[in-house]
Amino acid sequence: MKAGGSSERSLEHPIIWIAVIAGALGSILILKAVAWLAFPLILAIVLYYLVQPLLHSLQSAGVTPGQALGIFLGAAIVMTLVFSLTILPSMLSSLSEFQNQIPTYWDRLQIVIRDNLLALEGRFSFAKNAKLADGLEEQLNLFLEGAGKKYVADVALFLLHWLPSLLLVPFLTFFFLRDGTAFHRLVLRAVPNAFFEKTLLLFDRMDEQMRAYFRGMFGLTMLDTVSLGLGLWFLGHKSGIFGFWDAMFLGLICAIFAWVPYIGSGLGGILAVATVAVKAPQSSGLMVAVVLLFLGVRLLDEFVYTPMTVGRALRMHPLITVMMIFSGGMLGGVYGLLLAMPLLGIFSVLGQMFAEVWFDPRLRARYHARGMLEKKLASKDLGI
Amino acid sequence: MNLANLFRSPPMDPMLKIVSGVAIFRDCNRAELEALKLHLHERHFLAGEIVFDEGEEGEGMYVVIRGKLRANRKGLLAKKLLGVIQPGESFGEMALLGAGPRMATVVAEEDTTVLAMFRPELVALANARPRLGYKIAMGVALVLETRLRRVAEGQSPEPSST
Repeated sequence: MKAGGSSERSLEHPIIWIAVIAGALGSILILKAVAWLAFPLILAIVLYYLVQPLLHSLQSAGVTPGQALGIFLGAAIVMTLVFSLTILPSMLSSLSEFQNQIPTYWDRLQIVIRDNLLALEGRFSFAKNAKLADGLEEQLNLFLEGAGKKYVADVALFLLHWLPSLLLVPFLTFFFLRDGTAFHRLVLRAVPNAFFEKTLLLFDRMDEQMRAYFRGMFGLTMLDTVSLGLGLWFLGHKSGIFGFWDAMFLGLICAIFAWVPYIGSGLGGILAVATVAVKAPQSSGLMVAVVLLFLGVRLLDEFVYTPMTVGRALRMHPLITVMMIFSGGMLGGVYGLLLAMPLLGIFSVLGQMFAEVWFDPRLRARYHARGMLEKKLASKDLGI
Repeated sequence: MNLANLFRSPPMDPMLKIVSGVAIFRDCNRAELEALKLHLHERHFLAGEIVFDEGEEGEGMYVVIRGKLRANRKGLLAKKLLGVIQPGESFGEMALLGAGPRMATVVAEEDTTVLAMFRPELVALANARPRLGYKIAMGVALVLETRLRRVAEGQSPEPSST
C-alpha cells in the first residue's frame, strides 16, 4: 500500500486524492450499513492471505491444489473441535465472570481516580481551587447518563453483530481459496484490451501489497501480544494481579487496540493501567511500571517490530492519519475507527492504478482506436 | 454404451491443445497444462488493433489461437516488418524473463484470438509447482537458444522475439 516512485507522481493529481479520501469514507458508511457481512468478509480476506502460503507449501510438496485445500479444511475442522472442547468453555466462563464484575470494576476505578485526585488537591493549591475530584466525578456521571450509554450501546451492538456472523468466515475463506483465481480472471475479462496488461500488473502489485500488509499486521499483533503479555505477567504475577493467560489476553486486547494508529496504543495503555489500578489500588509503583512497559513496547514497535513486519508501507502524513481516524469514527463508530486506515491504503492503491492507466495518453489513444474500429465494423454496410 | 469410454480421459480443451504445441510448453503434461489453463487470459483483437507497442514495458507472452498478427519495428525511414505470427505460434516470450521494453509493435492483421500469460502469475504458479516452473524456464531457455543460434548464423530471429 505504498506509493512508490512513479506511482507517487500519479497520486499528485488533486482529483485522485479527493476521490481516494471520499472513496475510503464512503466505504466506511457502506460497510457499516452491512456490518454483519462486511466484518466476516474482511476477516476472510485476511485469513485467505494468511493461509495461502501454507497451501503453496503443500503444493510444492507435490499435492494438487484441491487436495491441499482438503487437507487444510480437515485440519481446520479438527482444530476448531479441539478448541471448542478444551479452551472455549473456560474462556466463556471467564468472560461471563468478567461481565458480572464490570460494575465492581467501574466503581473501584472511580474510587482510585477520586483518591488520587484528592491526594493531588491536598498537595497543590491550584488543584484544590479547580476542584478536580468533584469536577471529574460530575463529568463521569454526565458521561454515563449521555454519551457513555451511546458508546456502550455502540460497542454492544458491534459485538452483537459480528459474533454470530463469524460463522461465515471459514465458509467465505474456503471459496476465496478455491475460486480466487477464477474470480480474478472474470474481473479482468471486463478490462479493455488497451489497459489489460497494465491493469494486470497493477492488480498483481495490489495483491502483493495487501498480502504483505495483512501478514505484517498479523506478525505485529503477535509480537505486541507476547511483549505486552510477558511484561504484564512479569510485573503482576508476584502480587497475584495477573496469571500468565490473563496477562496474555490483556496483551492481545491492547495489541488489537494498537491497530488504530496513535490513539489505539494510548487506549490500550489506559486499559492496562486501569486494570492494575482496580486490582491493586495501593501500588502506584506498579502503575508507573505498567506505563513504562507500554512506552517501552511502543518504542520497540516503532523502531523494531513495525519495520520488521508491516514496514513503512502504510505510513502517511500524521495529520491525514488522525483526520481519517476521527472522520472514520464519526461516520462509522467502532468500524470506522478500525477500518479507516486499511481502507485509505486500499483506495490509495486503487487511485494509483486508475491514474497510471487512465492518464497514459498512448493507452487512451489505443482504447479510442479500438472504439473507432468497432464503430467502423458496426456501420460497414450502412453506406456512411 | 462402450464401458471403455469410462476409463478414457475426456478430450483436451482445443485451446489447450494449441498451447501444448507451443515450444515453451512442449514438455508439460496434461495435468500441468490444466493447471496452466487457470492462468491463461483469452483476449480478442479486431483487425488493425495494437496488442502492444515497441518500447512498452512487457509483462507477458501471447499464444495465437485464431487469426493473424504482424510484428513491426521502427526503422530509420519507415516501419520494418519482422514477420507474420500465425495460430499455434507465440510472441513476447522475452517478457517472461524480465520487465524490459518490447522489441516490436504487434498489430492484429485480422480478427484474432490470443491467450495471454503474465509473468507475475507464472512466477506464482512456478513457486507453487516447481516442476512446472522448471519446465517452463527450460522451454524459454531453449527458445532463446534457438534464436541466438539463428542470429549467430546470420539469419534474422523469428517475429516472436518481441
